[in-house]
Amino acid sequence: MRRYARLYWQYFKTRIKVMMEYRIDFLIGVASVFFTQGTSILFIAIVFQHIDTIHGWTFQQMLFIYAIAMLGRSLEHTFFDNLWTLGWQYIRPGNFDRVLIRPVNPLFQVVAERVQQDGIGSFIIGLIVLFTSAPSLGLEWGAAEILMLIVMVISSGAIYMAVNLFFATLSFWMVDSLPVMYAVQQTSDFARYPMNIFGKGIRFVLTFIIPYGFTAFYPAAWFLEDSGYRHTAVWTPVVAFLSVAIAYLFWKRGLRSFTGTGS
Amino acid sequence: MIEVKNLSKHYRLTEKSPGLSGAFKSLFAPKRVTKKAVDDIGFQIESGEMVGYIGANGAGKSTTIKMLCGILTPTTGEILVDGIVPYKERNRNAKNIGAVFGQRSQLFWDIAVRESYDLLKHIYDIPEDEYRKTLQMFTEVLELEPLLGTPVRQLSLGQKMRCELAAAFLHNPGIVYLDEPTIGLDVAVKSRIRQFIKEMNRMRGTTVILTTHDMQDIEEICSRIIIIDAGKVLYDGSLQSIKDRYGDKRVIHFELELEEEFQLPPDLAGKAEWTPGETGTVSVAFSNHVITAADVISEMLRKYRIRDLTISDSKIETIVQDIYCRGI
Amino acid sequence: MRKYWEMMKSQIKLDTAYTAWYWAGSASVIFRMLIIYAFWHAVFENRTTVGDMSLQAMITYTMLATLLNNYMSGVGSQLANQVRDGSVAIELMRPYNLLDKLVALDLGSKISGTIRETLPMLLIAYLFLGVSAPASWEAVPMFLLSALLGILIGTQLDLIIGIMAFWLDYVWGLRVLGGAITLFFTGALVPITLFPEWLRVLSGFMPFQSMVFVPVSIYTGQLSGLVALQALGVQLAWLVGIIVVMRTVWSFAIRKVTIFGG
Repeated sequence: MRRYARLYWQYFKTRIKVMMEYRIDFLIGVASVFFTQGTSILFIAIVFQHIDTIHGWTFQQMLFIYAIAMLGRSLEHTFFDNLWTLGWQYIRPGNFDRVLIRPVNPLFQVVAERVQQDGIGSFIIGLIVLFTSAPSLGLEWGAAEILMLIVMVISSGAIYMAVNLFFATLSFWMVDSLPVMYAVQQTSDFARYPMNIFGKGIRFVLTFIIPYGFTAFYPAAWFLEDSGYRHTAVWTPVVAFLSVAIAYLFWKRGLRSFTGTGS
Repeated sequence: MIEVKNLSKHYRLTEKSPGLSGAFKSLFAPKRVTKKAVDDIGFQIESGEMVGYIGANGAGKSTTIKMLCGILTPTTGEILVDGIVPYKERNRNAKNIGAVFGQRSQLFWDIAVRESYDLLKHIYDIPEDEYRKTLQMFTEVLELEPLLGTPVRQLSLGQKMRCELAAAFLHNPGIVYLDEPTIGLDVAVKSRIRQFIKEMNRMRGTTVILTTHDMQDIEEICSRIIIIDAGKVLYDGSLQSIKDRYGDKRVIHFELELEEEFQLPPDLAGKAEWTPGETGTVSVAFSNHVITAADVISEMLRKYRIRDLTISDSKIETIVQDIYCRGI
Repeated sequence: MRKYWEMMKSQIKLDTAYTAWYWAGSASVIFRMLIIYAFWHAVFENRTTVGDMSLQAMITYTMLATLLNNYMSGVGSQLANQVRDGSVAIELMRPYNLLDKLVALDLGSKISGTIRETLPMLLIAYLFLGVSAPASWEAVPMFLLSALLGILIGTQLDLIIGIMAFWLDYVWGLRVLGGAITLFFTGALVPITLFPEWLRVLSGFMPFQSMVFVPVSIYTGQLSGLVALQALGVQLAWLVGIIVVMRTVWSFAIRKVTIFGG
């Protein structure tokens, strides 16, 4: 464990050095994510200029849900972005062999070989939205609440990561599962809205199949007194843990199949 | 050091029939074919040996190397590398091996070479002073100094391969697998790389398994070769003995001024064979146990006007070609 | 002309070969339409209008806008990739105009996209999501023309971003940035009529609303008669202007390749 932490730090330092070489790219990347998230906030703001609540949810509450989603997503985006490239940069060109002949966990290597600076953009805007919406939720922000918030954000990021890992693993069988990952990721947009505006089917899928519901709405609901979802919300860390465990086991399975057939 | 017994690797492939109806058929009743990439091979390699592992494309070389590295699980058979079963303990095996896989980079694409080495130092837990000493030596032998600050993507093929080679030997592995380390390189770089490999073997006793299509590599580096074809070992033995066995063959290529159809001079009949080449050229093959090259030339001179001639000797290349075509 | 026609056809064939991406693209459009449907139904829960729009008008607008917005990206990324790996130099030596080739490929993609993706989605939207028919008969040809103009503007802007690859390493970020800005200012998320005053004025000075908002509003009847014709004129003016800019930037880029060798 210590060894891996040290190793990650080495990788991280190297990535930062590369990043500093491309300063303009860095700025464009951060700005692009910042604006992508910013316009979705602007969209909600415009809608709320014309109405007061959506299905009983206020503007501030909606913003708070968004904030959790953005912060969780930014963690995944910053540290686990390389999972997207598993198929076309590692398996298809044969670079995964390089990963396999090193005495370090292969998944660790793939993840550590990239730090995606763009994620900082959504982290910044997530914080801004959090700080503007959090005070008006009618909640006393003590140490316990802040701790819980951190747990929830990390869980959210872990679930985003686990879902991506699961579908990236398909690349071991189908060469490049990028289209599948892309389609699945699109469903994460559902999770930014209060779940009870959706029909039963969608709610079921986002809770039990692809647990994106736990990346934003459920964890946010823990902080909203009258949400009626606080019981579901406490499961967030558990769901995160289970998702990561299942995704990792699936990855191991994929790896075994890969070394069995060799692409 | 390396023990391989009855090793086989079979792939199950789905054969695709052409056309739409074929696509339908393979959807419901896929036609499975088993391909024997490696078929019951065995050999033993001692510590410090330098072995050329050669064969035509698709003969099963890479599959074998991948199994030795632990990247691929064998269908049947046993592998033991330094007491480790590679595919069962890939991690432990990995600490003791280095590899260069042809044109695929082992280095990190977008960071400077030195940074790559630094990362490798941490990956393989190389002690700092040892790392520094090794890197300094490699820098001198392979002339890496001007390359260390450059990102890999900006290096030329030859520069890259020198850096790759250093990366493979950096953690002082007991075994190094080199899969076509000289492919596409110019003569100067090739010879530098061969020098380096020999040097490593001499100084550190590194076991080297080399696959290549360049027989010069084999001749300069290896004392032993294993020839594999269609997944089976055709020959395993010293380079010298294969030369002794097949090496009496000589071929002389003549460029002649021909006025009529070529005919072998009568004194050469039964002692040599000839094959026509391009217009006006003829290749005469013979064994130097039967007749000397000088005699062949003088016989030819007596009958024809020779514009030019070249003698190809018993290069391993000719021998291996012969074995590929005709078998042992 | 003949060779560009063949290029277009080859692109259609190529597109049909990538079935995985086709299903992924279709799935993501369906997801987006479902979100839009649920979201606006929730917004209209206790009211009949938002701004001056009814629920049905809003659903019709946002669904069509989402489908139309899919056409706004194009071959810019292909161009950027060619610049990055250097193959643009070879392309420039070939006996055709690279820009025209790219436009032909783009057209091919969009034709196959229309048949394979947009039309089925439109059918789904009509049958299950409550999208209504065009406002009037004369709105149909005007909508088609306006949509075509909008798509052409989008394609040209996309090409401009692609050309930026001659100067920037990381065009991907620029594309995401451009995508975010256009998604909002084209009116693809929410009709520009709902924007606050200052944003509406700002949008008026930008070409983006010509890409999605104008054609879809013609369809829903929010723009009709003389106003609609006027909007078409503005679209045309933007298109011409952007083409001029694009060709100018292109000529600078070419000069950069031929002088500095890429």
